Amino acid sequence: MDKNKSFQNIIMKLQYYWMDQGCVLIQPYDTEVGAGTFHPATVLRVLGPDPIWKAAYIQPCRRPTDGRYGENPNRLQHYYQFQVIIQPSPDNIQNLYLESLNAVGLNSKNHDIRFVEDDWESPTLGASGLGWEIWCDGMEISQFTYFQQVGGIEVKPVASEITYGLERLAMFIQKVENIYHLDWDGLDKDKGGKTYGDIFLQQEKEFSIYNFEKSNSSVLIQHFNDAEKECSFLLEDKINPLPLPAYDQCIKASHIFNLLDARGVISVSERQAYILRVRNMSRSCCLAWMDKSNV
Amino acid sequence: MSKNKGEKGSLLLELFSEEIPARMQTGSEKQLTSLFEKSFINRDIGYGPISTFCSPRHLSVIIKNIDLKQKNQIIEKRGPRLGSNEKAINGFLKSNNIQENDIVIKDTKNGKFYFYLNQTNGINTSEVLPEIINEIINNFVWPKSQRWAYSELRWARPLRNILLLFNNQPIEGKVAINENNFLNFSTYTFGHRNENKKIEVKSIDEYEELLENNYIILDRKKRKNKIINDTKLLLKDKDIKLLDDDYLLDEVLGLVEFPNVLIGTIDKQFMNLPKEVLTTAMKVHQKYFSIIDDKNNLVPKFLFVSNTTPKKERDISVIEGNERVLKARLSDADFFWKTDIATKIESFNEKLKKVLFYEGLGSLHDKTIRLSKVSKYFSSFFKVDVSLAREACILSKFDLVSEMVGEFPELQGIMGGHYTKLNGKPNEISNAIFDQYKPKGISNDMPKTKLGCMLSMVDNIDNLTGFFIINKKPSGSKDPFALRRAGYSIVQILMKLKLNISINDLFTEALKSYENSSKMIKLDLIDFIIDKVKFILKKQNFRHDIIESVISLEESKNYFFPILYERVNCLNDIKDTNEFKTFLVNFKRLNNIIKSNILLDISNVKLNTHLFESSEEQEIYDKSKCLDFNLKKYLTDIEHQGILLKEVISLNYVIHSFFEKIIVNHEDNKIKVNRIKLLTELAERLLKFSNFHYIDN
Repeated sequence: MDKNKSFQNIIMKLQYYWMDQGCVLIQPYDTEVGAGTFHPATVLRVLGPDPIWKAAYIQPCRRPTDGRYGENPNRLQHYYQFQVIIQPSPDNIQNLYLESLNAVGLNSKNHDIRFVEDDWESPTLGASGLGWEIWCDGMEISQFTYFQQVGGIEVKPVASEITYGLERLAMFIQKVENIYHLDWDGLDKDKGGKTYGDIFLQQEKEFSIYNFEKSNSSVLIQHFNDAEKECSFLLEDKINPLPLPAYDQCIKASHIFNLLDARGVISVSERQAYILRVRNMSRSCCLAWMDKSNV
Repeated sequence: MSKNKGEKGSLLLELFSEEIPARMQTGSEKQLTSLFEKSFINRDIGYGPISTFCSPRHLSVIIKNIDLKQKNQIIEKRGPRLGSNEKAINGFLKSNNIQENDIVIKDTKNGKFYFYLNQTNGINTSEVLPEIINEIINNFVWPKSQRWAYSELRWARPLRNILLLFNNQPIEGKVAINENNFLNFSTYTFGHRNENKKIEVKSIDEYEELLENNYIILDRKKRKNKIINDTKLLLKDKDIKLLDDDYLLDEVLGLVEFPNVLIGTIDKQFMNLPKEVLTTAMKVHQKYFSIIDDKNNLVPKFLFVSNTTPKKERDISVIEGNERVLKARLSDADFFWKTDIATKIESFNEKLKKVLFYEGLGSLHDKTIRLSKVSKYFSSFFKVDVSLAREACILSKFDLVSEMVGEFPELQGIMGGHYTKLNGKPNEISNAIFDQYKPKGISNDMPKTKLGCMLSMVDNIDNLTGFFIINKKPSGSKDPFALRRAGYSIVQILMKLKLNISINDLFTEALKSYENSSKMIKLDLIDFIIDKVKFILKKQNFRHDIIESVISLEESKNYFFPILYERVNCLNDIKDTNEFKTFLVNFKRLNNIIKSNILLDISNVKLNTHLFESSEEQEIYDKSKCLDFNLKKYLTDIEHQGILLKEVISLNYVIHSFFEKIIVNHEDNKIKVNRIKLLTELAERLLKFSNFHYIDN
């Protein structure tokens, strides 16, 4: 066991590193999301009110379709991202990123680091950006994006987003081939040390069953409709809209859509319609947020 | 440095940015060249050879033999007309601040005028360079570009440094990122990320070598050669070689600034996965090359190109890292494989009912039913067993809902082939399913079996027909459903297999299977395929006008493909012979005479041999009749196309002697009309073979 390389230590080191770069350390958003980007600290904040916004946070993410009943060593329906959003994008942002790897004990000079084109687009958020996936010795450990648009609105100034896949990064650092074998705390087992599997294997099994087999589609569809209604209700008052609570409803709808998708009850043509509905919600929230911020 | 007249300069520009996507690099070099050429030409600055380089972060150009000065510019100013009054002339002199002996008289198409030829000295190239560089950067168009921070400027990825030297001297100037922020021209650049060194560039001639010493190989070709040579060294003494993949190599070239070729080992437990699965998993996600032995079998090794400077210890850990990643990727693939082979084909097929092929075109299951209906008609043309064909169609799409194809869409068909084989289906069927997406457009990579060809063609016909029905035809550069490729692929199969099918019959059954009876759609489809036929023939080096002369025949839609091909081929063979060329001349004369008498209504005229006054007329009549007979008998006989063409050309002599001896415009109108009728009939017969007037002489 190496305390330095433990999962929790990697998180702490990233937090300290980005704190030192002047980021506010925020905590995870308390609603199910598919990616760290969904956190209001990213989606809404890059649209205003302050043109300078630097934040870092860890975010648990849910991808119901990626569940594998705990049987696949590389896929999870619940995992962690570490998200850094800096606006305006600094000129030396690539170097800042490479130094962050050094901070977690991965000296970039000793590895084959590659920036491979990967333009990012979130149809539900109406967001897109240009950037790369970052490879370290062939493993994709991060995603790097220059935000161009959110909610269909141009992001000005452009923000840079860095997303670390924490499990991937830790697997690389610990040289582990199975997620569940990741060392979480750097303690030996006989001293109560825990692996990733000790903490999450049961969760993966149960949620895979829920996501694929047990979720109640008609209830979910009702939830989706309710969230959509609530979202538009909260934005109805043009003088005093409530974009933040409305955005909560938008995130909820997005997650419900993912659950329905995992259950396999959405046909190809319906899929597009659902995505469009979430996109409209997120766009309305973004516009209301901008109005309120007086940008 | 002395600046004598005629002395030339050289220029180095390097645009240093964050990593530019691999697919854009080659294009960016070309664009840089053409933008410089344009800027120099517009400013009347002569220049010599241009060489460009591009690596992920460095895009540069070196231009030699540039004029040190713009050529002197002469601006003509027109003054008053010759003979104008003095007042006008003086006004002209005054407004230009010149004397009387500064003006000259010049002739124009409107008469003679006074002119002032204002000659200004050309500006020094070094002085206009900043303007040129700005122009180039602002006019640069990337396939996809971005802003960053407060930039107004767009670039493929943020532009971070501009190195500019002219005759090894720095040039003062800058490029605006936005209103308030600029990149000043610099004299330095940066080396490999592993070293992270700032490099001062003092000499243009040494630039390339200087960067190479800092582990940046600027020249794409050099990077390629290094990869090829290093690979050879690594595989030396073993009976193994790289599975060639030019596309992958090209992509890899754009991902590295200093290619370092390394070899890793594939865990043995994965070696029983199908070859295609291993190769695809390695290539798509990891950009690894596969290695094969002399029997074309995969060996448990993979080759990859890392972007690192040479260092033994690092190489070892980079290889280890990549091996671990590959293990994870392959255990994913292994999981898919095991899940898939544990699933019954019937239950996959059942799933297809829920998967839409496309909005308005039914499910994928519906598609397989349509294919099997249409296959009934085509199987006799392909000489394949009807029931095998039917089953191949029914089983052709189930792999689209398999786990493996979900992860690797490029394995569609291939997995279907493997899974049907494992399920004990006849080899003919699994082979056909395996190959069903070949040929990809104009490619020559055909399905290996006739059944495979048929499945491919029936599927493409179904795609075309369906998307035409819902009006999703390709237009301009938009072809989201790759229908052009589908068209080419159909034509390739028709030609390669010499199938006796006509364009007219291609879509009849498919339209029926969609329960569609629209004549319009059928005609659209036919026109679409005709277009593809022309294109493919052109690709085979047949001359455009020859192709046109045959394909434009009204009847060509009803011809079997091999006949069309053979006729084009025959015409193409003789197109450069003198005999054919004189035939064309005579045919043109014939045509002109008919055209000039177009007002004469001869439709009801019956040819009367008693009105003949000469042996020439009789001879034309006899030969024409004979031609008519042979055309009726052999026009669609593949063996006779060459013979018919010979007969057509041999008419050369009779037509010629007719025109030599006979005047069509006889004073007796009856005779005249009779002669026109004679010639018209002949022309009509000739035009059954080919529209000869389309052919350039």
